[in-house]
Amino acid sequence: MSYVVQSDSLSKRYGDVLAVDDLTFAIEAGTITGFLGPNGAGKSTTLRMLLGLVKPTSGHTTVFGSSYDHLATPALRIGAVLEATDFHPGRSGRDHLRTLSQAVGIPDARVDEVLTLVELQNAAKRRVKGYSLGMRQRLGLAAALLGNPDLLVLDEPANGLDPEGVRWLRDFLRDFASGGRTVLISSHVLAEIAQTVDQVLIINQGRLVVESTLEELTARVGGVVRVKSPQLEQLAGALQREGIVTTKSNDHTLLAQGTTKERVGDLALAAGVAIHELVTEGSSLEEVFLDLTSEAAPQ
Amino acid sequence: MNQLRAELLKIRSTRTTIGLLVGLIALALLFTILTCTLSPNAQLLTEQDQTSLLSFGSIAGVFAALAGVMLFTSEYRFGTIRPTSLFNPNRAHLFATKITAGVLSGLVFGLIGEGLVFSIGLMILKIRGVHIVMTGANVTELLLGAIIGTALWGAIGVAVGAIVTNQVGAVITLLAWGFVVENLVFGFLPKVGRFLPVHASDSMMGPIEDKLLSGYAGTVVVVAWVLILSVIGVTLLKSRDVS
Repeated sequence: MSYVVQSDSLSKRYGDVLAVDDLTFAIEAGTITGFLGPNGAGKSTTLRMLLGLVKPTSGHTTVFGSSYDHLATPALRIGAVLEATDFHPGRSGRDHLRTLSQAVGIPDARVDEVLTLVELQNAAKRRVKGYSLGMRQRLGLAAALLGNPDLLVLDEPANGLDPEGVRWLRDFLRDFASGGRTVLISSHVLAEIAQTVDQVLIINQGRLVVESTLEELTARVGGVVRVKSPQLEQLAGALQREGIVTTKSNDHTLLAQGTTKERVGDLALAAGVAIHELVTEGSSLEEVFLDLTSEAAPQ
Repeated sequence: MNQLRAELLKIRSTRTTIGLLVGLIALALLFTILTCTLSPNAQLLTEQDQTSLLSFGSIAGVFAALAGVMLFTSEYRFGTIRPTSLFNPNRAHLFATKITAGVLSGLVFGLIGEGLVFSIGLMILKIRGVHIVMTGANVTELLLGAIIGTALWGAIGVAVGAIVTNQVGAVITLLAWGFVVENLVFGFLPKVGRFLPVHASDSMMGPIEDKLLSGYAGTVVVVAWVLILSVIGVTLLKSRDVS
């Protein structure tokens, strides 16, 4: 198995506070992984340890098989956005990127290329203090993309973005990962990244709560699949024979509890039932997330 | 070399450096024109009088130190220390690059500051008919001492910025040290005060004050201060988390 990121018994203590507690996980190449947890769960600290900015109290973490600071020119393999505010307000967006690109010998042509990629070419020479939050997020992303990396690490990149910005980010990440590259994206709102990620790592109070695919997560904690069919009775029968609890929502819609849309689709096919819509309910994912993070909280 | 280019671009790409340069030029011109015009001839007779008057360009050291301080503190203030550290994870190397950039920018401040004071001051004195008693060796020592001293102050600023990462704190520390603490120590204990960085760098410019060290000793002492502060700065930089 090819792992891009590995964390082994990673812990970080700040005084009396154990911010990250014995965290072990691995991320495969070519996946988009959501790193989820409520505010203060230890996500940002973990990402900073991964990137060599914060020293672990114990344990270790590797990227492409080595610690970040032992990689030769890591900015050419790993791109990261940790804060949307990491800019000198008096410097132009283009010059901000050039201060980074020049440090690793990336030509100015690549700077212009990434500015175009994030649709900031027209604002490139404006000082960053005049940028909106969405523009700053995109400038951060442009910086992360300078080295044409194989791994993107994004800490809460959708924070403060309007719905259009969130959609832009989602499309961008899908496009990025479609080439077999890897994304690790943190968020405290599952719904924000649920449509983007392949798998999730959920942490709470510094500890890993769940490491699974999104579908497994939904099924495991009682997710709801909404399915529309003109043959509702037949479909309900097929699902119930497999032990799946169903509820009729209206004349054409059924809610299937504790399963995945793939399983519902397979069972419908086997039963020869036509399907007009098959959706994992987003709201239930958020409930799953909230359940998991509240369950893990110490009493 | 790439990283040095990047650091120099950081210095050039904001208005802070331009502001510091404008401030230096204005102060140097104002002081030089006023003092060289208004000082009575009786106070401009000796080599020490003239060297002391024309050494005001060393005030560039304050501006170079402030520019040096900004190299680290503005990274912490605006959070750019994160991307900077990601693109250059070797912190000792990052520190060395910034020190070099601080020295180079200090050289520019020194050339402009002392260049203006010396050329305009000398011109005014000559117009006034003051007999110039400074020798070629005096002039060389004054110019080299002021310019190299200012460059070293650029390095001291960088090291102080790495130690005190809060920008306001670092600037206040630097100014309070240079304008208050050192003058008090030198005033009461000149044998101790002459080993402190401001007075040691003053001695690099030649005989401007009786109680100072020799030019060579002063240079060695300032370099020693740069090394001591650098060791502290790089140690802290390597041990601190970038959160």
